[in-house]
Amino acid sequence: MLRPRIIPCLLVHKRGLVKTVNFKSHKYVGDPINAVRIFNEKQVDELMVLDIDATVEDREPDYQMIENLAAECRMPLCYGGGVKSAIQAQRIFSLGVEKIAFSSAIVEKPELVSELADQVGSQSVVAVLDVKKKLLGGYEVFTKNGRHSAKVKPVELIKKFSALGAGEIVINSIDNDGMMKGYDLNLIELCRASTDLPMTVLGGAGSLDHIGELIHRYGIIGAAAGSLFVFKGTYRAVLINYPTPIQKRELLLKHMQPADPLLHAGS
Amino acid sequence: MFLQVFRPTIIYKRRDLEITNHMSGNIQLVKSKGPFFHGDPRYRMCAKTIMDTSDPEIVFDKDGISDYYHNFQQSILPNWHTDDRGSQELQRQAELIRADGKKRDFDCIMGLSGGLDSSFAAYVAKEIMGLRPLIFHVDAGWNTQQAVGNVEKIVNGLGLDLFTEVVNWEEMKDVHRAFLKSQIADQDLPQDAVFFSGLYKFARKNKIRYVLTGANYSTECCREPEAWGAYPGLDLTLFMDIHKQFGSIPLKTMPLVDILQYKLVYRYIYGMRIFRPLNFLPYIKTDAETLLKDKFGWEPFKHKHHESRFTRFYEDYWMPRKFGYEKRRAHFSSLILTGQMTRDEALVRISKPEMDEQFLKQEFEYVATKLNFSVDELQAIFEGKNKTYHDYKNKRYLIGIGARAMAKLGLERRLFR
Amino acid sequence: MIGIIDYGLGNIKAFVNIYKKLDVGLSVVSAKKDLEGITKVILPGVGAFDHAMTQFSNSGMREAVEELVLGGNAPLIGICVGMQMLARDSEEGKLPGLGWIDGNVRKIDTSRLGSATRLPHMGWNDVVRRRESPILKSFETTSEFYFLHSFCFHSDSPENVVATASYGNDFAAIISKGNIYGIQCHPEKSHHSGIAILRNFAEI
Repeated sequence: MLRPRIIPCLLVHKRGLVKTVNFKSHKYVGDPINAVRIFNEKQVDELMVLDIDATVEDREPDYQMIENLAAECRMPLCYGGGVKSAIQAQRIFSLGVEKIAFSSAIVEKPELVSELADQVGSQSVVAVLDVKKKLLGGYEVFTKNGRHSAKVKPVELIKKFSALGAGEIVINSIDNDGMMKGYDLNLIELCRASTDLPMTVLGGAGSLDHIGELIHRYGIIGAAAGSLFVFKGTYRAVLINYPTPIQKRELLLKHMQPADPLLHAGS
Repeated sequence: MFLQVFRPTIIYKRRDLEITNHMSGNIQLVKSKGPFFHGDPRYRMCAKTIMDTSDPEIVFDKDGISDYYHNFQQSILPNWHTDDRGSQELQRQAELIRADGKKRDFDCIMGLSGGLDSSFAAYVAKEIMGLRPLIFHVDAGWNTQQAVGNVEKIVNGLGLDLFTEVVNWEEMKDVHRAFLKSQIADQDLPQDAVFFSGLYKFARKNKIRYVLTGANYSTECCREPEAWGAYPGLDLTLFMDIHKQFGSIPLKTMPLVDILQYKLVYRYIYGMRIFRPLNFLPYIKTDAETLLKDKFGWEPFKHKHHESRFTRFYEDYWMPRKFGYEKRRAHFSSLILTGQMTRDEALVRISKPEMDEQFLKQEFEYVATKLNFSVDELQAIFEGKNKTYHDYKNKRYLIGIGARAMAKLGLERRLFR
Repeated sequence: MIGIIDYGLGNIKAFVNIYKKLDVGLSVVSAKKDLEGITKVILPGVGAFDHAMTQFSNSGMREAVEELVLGGNAPLIGICVGMQMLARDSEEGKLPGLGWIDGNVRKIDTSRLGSATRLPHMGWNDVVRRRESPILKSFETTSEFYFLHSFCFHSDSPENVVATASYGNDFAAIISKGNIYGIQCHPEKSHHSGIAILRNFAEI
């Protein structure tokens, strides 16, 4: 059966990996290349690496780093950070990356999605939305590490991106980032209903049960997490971890709804 | 690797020779004045262990038995009790440590690399001594998947708390690059430095008195000779001279505690105590592996020190091929001396590297990439002229004085020269 | 020497990385002349069927590859859209396929999935062996692979189906006929099982 994807998400800041809380207070968690290598050996479903400096510093992606990281990945790798054009995207694909996450560039200029889809194929165009709760209810999309409000609702952008040919939507909750108290299920509910595209959610996972909860509700979904896969215990000790294939299977068996037709489909 | 740095002091060779002479009566001891490597007519190997003249200081008796064997028989063995005597001492120490930890969330601190010695020591501390150790792990950027997996399994399985210090990789990388360029054999000093400095600094900061380690006679009684890049502890004079000459960024965050500062200030002023529980009970490598595997799903390594990708590369490739030193000689010799391996088995094992050629070739590329060298640049360093710490500023002499003092006080029994 | 056809589609670098780790020679073939000395061919592919066919036809390599595989009996493996290209045609496009394995390509039938219907079929899924084949040498009956596609290969002859996967219905995950193989999933991104497939292909 097709399985939901469980995806570690790593943030690159000043050439090192960091983990944030609400997109702030960066904690250094180590060297990207060794972390990626360990995640590869742990056979993660997919890996997401976001360079959180590139857009803010208005610079090109660090191609050498991307190439070094891709060389360690025997699973799909999604890179994000500072990519604004199809030419840059092509160059990144040539380094061994499958998917590229776009955020600022496409929020500012949604038409770019169709241009990218035409030139690199929809399957590789991942739209990332950093979302924050509004004071008086509702949600709003932000860019540039949560500093800049795009003054638009996530649902609106998701519909637009879906129509323009994005291949996947990533919903990242700024409010839940680093809190490890669970995903923002209300936000996910809103977003999931607004598109048929594959969706990945990020922000808030603090235990495998949080991922289980997500799987229970949505079946096939991408469950991404940062803190969960790099921290351990009360002291938030940095220790790369990821469920073993057996733990993963148990998690799915426990949480996938028996009514899910995917479980019974096929012979 | 934690272990190397905690092997703290030195038995001065003359003292050791005296013991040997005294105990064995009429045997004649001949110093090799090497190093001589395989193929050289002056090459010799100990008849009991597999230590050889690649250690320039090795000494043989008329039967071709080295001082490593005699030191073990006469200096270590009589003082090593893994029976009731050891067990009683273990419990006595446990009480002291527990009493000290009364007002804290944990009784003591212990480094955990994920390797066998530190993993088993954690098990002994918790399950046999009944302690609540805080587990401290230093991430210097070279952890293998298996190492982090084992740390996780031990911490989960024993229900212990973990604290990690992640060394800034840009600084770590700069130090590694500088050390490689310095061409000395002691390429594991950067990792050892941060492992023990990180742990001691943390212990000091949190006023933890007892540090437990996995250092032990059973698998480490045959000490790695100093010529094989086993500099005794972190000498900041040496460290900083190399970094000054070949480094390029300031070391702002790297934890570094000089050996003399640690030996004098940490020990005698702050009263920090090191305890090595594995010397007080039977510690058989394969039994310990089986126990940890069965209880916690812990995975054994192919060889000692393989929890760090760099150390594995350094000991299996860089050292033997660039310098002719095989640290495994000492590791296997320890197992021979303690009856856990036959000499013939050791000779077979050491005749080839632990990892295959293709793997080592890939590791060479990985190490180069990770350290920002091109493969050609690292190859050029590999082919460059070897040096020793004597080519740099150091305070080895001073450390030696301290060590001899410790030896006189009977605080170290392993053969240190 | 194995040659991977670089006609602008597919993660060539990922294959290069894996064969490098395996210490098996792999040559990137981006022009007809590069086919010299090539005895086995990997035909990758992503994106739309027509686009892939057009790119391949315009690459100047198509006839030479055809000669090598059909005339010279060199083993070939088509990956993802590269597998679909082996069919007569595809529901996704108007252009004819290579027609090297009898069958056609249709959109994945998700009617039995009900509300969960979603395409593309993306993620890790079980691949179940249906018959023995050197490409699955030393594989268990079931192993996991990474998929990303919306269309699948319908083989005229069930005998050409080596393994299947299931998403609503069973579909062909691996096909083979003589020296020609096709695999719908991405072995270059499927951890150990993918590496094993690529190693098996090198050993055929």
